[in-house]
Amino acid sequence: MEESTSPDCKLGILETLDGEAIQEIIESYNGFCATAKSLLNGAGDLSVGTEFVSYVHSLCNHGLQSLVRDHFLRALEETFEKVGVLKFWQHFDAYSKGSCQEKNKPLNYDDEVHQVLCKALEEICSEKQYQEKCLFMLVHAIQSYKEYPLEGKHVSDSERVHLFAKYQLMVSSVLMASLPPHFPEMLYWYFKGRLEELSIIMDGELEDKNESQDKDDMDLDEKGKQRIGEMDIDESYNNGKFSEKSKLVKQIGKVVRDLRSLGFTSMTENAYASAIFSLLKSKVHNLAGDDYRSSVLESIKAWIQVVPLQFLNALLAYLGEAVSYESPTTGLKSPLASRPSSCYPGIDTPSEGLIRWQLRLEYFAYETLQDLRIAKLFEIIVDYPESSPAIEDLKQCLEYTGQHSKLVESFISALKYRLLTAGASTNDILHQYVSTIKALRTIDPTGVFLETVGEPIRDYLRGRKDTIKCIVTMLTDGTGGNPNGSGSTGDSLLEELNRDEENQENIGVDDDFNIDDKQAWINAARWEPDPVEADPLKGSRNRRKVDILGMMVGIIGSKDQLVNEYRVMLAEKLLNKSDYEIDSEIRTLELLKIHFGESSMQRCEIMLNDLIDSKRTNANIKATIAKQSQAGSDLRENEISLDILDSTIISSNFWPPMQDEALIVPGPVDQLLSDYAKRFNEIKTPRKLLWKKNLGTVKLELQFDDRTVQFAVAPIHAAIIMQFQDQTSWTSKSLAAAIGVPVDVMNRRINFWISKGILAESGGTDSNDHLYTLVEGLVDSSKNGGNSGSCEELLLGDEEGERSVASVEDQIRNEMTVYEKFILGMLTNFGSMALDRIHNTLKMFCVADPPYDKSLQQLQSFLSGLVSEEKLELRDGMYFLKK
Amino acid sequence: MFSSTPLYLCHFQWHAVASWTWDAQDETCGICRMAFDGCCPDCKLPGDDCPLIWGACNHAFHLHCILKWVNSQTPQAHCPMCRREWQFKGSE
Repeated sequence: MEESTSPDCKLGILETLDGEAIQEIIESYNGFCATAKSLLNGAGDLSVGTEFVSYVHSLCNHGLQSLVRDHFLRALEETFEKVGVLKFWQHFDAYSKGSCQEKNKPLNYDDEVHQVLCKALEEICSEKQYQEKCLFMLVHAIQSYKEYPLEGKHVSDSERVHLFAKYQLMVSSVLMASLPPHFPEMLYWYFKGRLEELSIIMDGELEDKNESQDKDDMDLDEKGKQRIGEMDIDESYNNGKFSEKSKLVKQIGKVVRDLRSLGFTSMTENAYASAIFSLLKSKVHNLAGDDYRSSVLESIKAWIQVVPLQFLNALLAYLGEAVSYESPTTGLKSPLASRPSSCYPGIDTPSEGLIRWQLRLEYFAYETLQDLRIAKLFEIIVDYPESSPAIEDLKQCLEYTGQHSKLVESFISALKYRLLTAGASTNDILHQYVSTIKALRTIDPTGVFLETVGEPIRDYLRGRKDTIKCIVTMLTDGTGGNPNGSGSTGDSLLEELNRDEENQENIGVDDDFNIDDKQAWINAARWEPDPVEADPLKGSRNRRKVDILGMMVGIIGSKDQLVNEYRVMLAEKLLNKSDYEIDSEIRTLELLKIHFGESSMQRCEIMLNDLIDSKRTNANIKATIAKQSQAGSDLRENEISLDILDSTIISSNFWPPMQDEALIVPGPVDQLLSDYAKRFNEIKTPRKLLWKKNLGTVKLELQFDDRTVQFAVAPIHAAIIMQFQDQTSWTSKSLAAAIGVPVDVMNRRINFWISKGILAESGGTDSNDHLYTLVEGLVDSSKNGGNSGSCEELLLGDEEGERSVASVEDQIRNEMTVYEKFILGMLTNFGSMALDRIHNTLKMFCVADPPYDKSLQQLQSFLSGLVSEEKLELRDGMYFLKK
Repeated sequence: MFSSTPLYLCHFQWHAVASWTWDAQDETCGICRMAFDGCCPDCKLPGDDCPLIWGACNHAFHLHCILKWVNSQTPQAHCPMCRREWQFKGSE
């Protein structure tokens, strides 16, 4: 080596050479070249060996060792390139273009690849082995020359190592330089095919094992681990499948070893790692699928233990003698086992052992499952209570991967795309919201992510008008909307919340006072920091207990609004009752009291109490009247018994404002009402009754010549139909006058009877004056045919216009009219004003009686009402007086 | 109930709605300034549980309010409205 590097020295040598020596050198060099050539091309013919050795010796004599080495290596390279490599790649030429198309039929492809690869590897390896033999001969020759003159054996040993390293480098660089681009892909397909085969075998084995060892099913994992730990795969199986498996593994091992010897170490590892990962991925997808009712994490883990790890284990064990890193430390107590692997799948670093592989695979499995579940989180939450195993899986995955933010992002976009659209009903959104709260509470008990996820839903719901109503309905009614609970399709949300709470209370009974030192210590030891994403402003986790009701109220903004809405709904329900049964309402109220406090539910309580009182008073009045009529039995002829009259007597101050419409009820009924009121006055002396004649319910049975029909209707409907007892046809004007309501109201209300086929409308003489006629029984019996006789129609608040209680919006509107003058005055002075400014001005000046306490939205809707009434004009966000 | 048309209302049940009110001339109690139809600040339920009482001077108050007033006035209580000697109506 030294000689070749220094030209001076070489020149010096050249000068000292005489002609004879030169001749000898030339001769032996030519001989050397020829023998080397024949040796290398000789295909196993080592007969020229001795000749070769002597040439080498003579060249070495002249100090031309480096020349010998270089030339020989170059010759090796050339031959290798010409013979081995060319042939080797030729095997795969067929797949260079085909690989893309043949993805469609990987089964066939795999088999072919398998055979071709094996054959090619065998060939090139035998070629390489032969060359190595030749190289060894050279080494031997140089060695034998060197041995006796001067240095010891270790020099020549290093010579050998050096030469072989050079050769190895040459082989791999030649191969790499001519690497066809599709080769890595082929390797991948190869390993994938093999792994699938193995996985099928293993699956079969697993089943066998499950059958035979049903009782110790539980420690399957442990056994698997032990096996891996002991690196002893041969022990546990001795059935026929074992040989099949070990043969397969051996085959793969051989391929891997050959590939390694050719310098494809990292490429091979890449290939089988990605094959394993893709297999794992497809396994996870396979197992997880679209079924959220069962937990799949455990079976995935078990599968990892059984298939890929077994494979790697066997592979590493097989390569063990050749590869040094398969050290005993990978057995049981690797330091890696205790710390989670930080490497991501996809970035391929050479593995350091099974434990690392296991961690990588498990991480990958967790991540894959997590991605899969996150992508489908919306569906999972839709069928939440059933899908809780999937949620549980996801929770575990996230604990491992910590990619909660991924969940939040993807879920929010799913929500925006699928839920928060105009097409979704408010009820659906709310149900999804509740399910989301429940599900995310499982995943993240601190509620940090829930806050982020809930935000868009809350924002969206705030923009909907019927949100409050839906929330209240959801809270108080069963999911079936069945107030009697007979359907038992589901309890109200409130009942559920209450049950949850009771359960929680039972668990944490000894929470505050009975806490002793020991418990305190346990609590302290259980402390966990908030997730990184937590907002430090929001306080610690203890204060951030996830409270479904609180989050629902959070949508609305304040509980007062919710309570108010509930009061309106309760009033509506109570006023339309035809009996005094309020058990379910009392129950609901008690539950609401727990959550909202007694004082805010006070008015509702009074309302219910009114019903209870009414029942008592009603019975009382009837009893005394009955006594009276017995005493002085001077009933008038047209008198109808008080039995048919019940009443709900309300404390009007505590009820929401009522719709007040004048109504003239039929004479006999009116008589009854005043009798009733008189009795009330007598019983409850300085108190008296004020009838709200348009409110209440009338159950009536219409009897025609041929049929009887039952209805439950509003008083106005009863009043209308009763007019037809005396007269079969009425003009709308005279009918309206008879029942004391405006014509338009009457025209609207009478539609009920027309739609039932009881009355018919015909254009009268005047275009504004319709003629209503009682339909003779026969005409529409076909219409009601099926249920004639006993059809009970319930008509409770069926149309917006027929509510007994003013809705919350109406109330607000009424309250706002006070400010109309202020607003008009302001606009007269200032010309034009923006919404904000009007709002602020009102806030500033309307401080006394009644103070201005409306929100910007309420003001805006009121103003837009004024615009539609053509009192105001809105241009570019500014309000003007309409001129 | 005979009618001249083919329609008979053979049976009906009327469930009416009424509100009660104290038959007092005033709206609010002169002592607590709460509505008579409501209840005094100490009560939760209006009506029977928080009745009105009239004095000889025909001024009405929540019973609880005037009792408190009367008990705090010694030796002789006066009507808070007209300063006449307080007598419950009908008690003399």
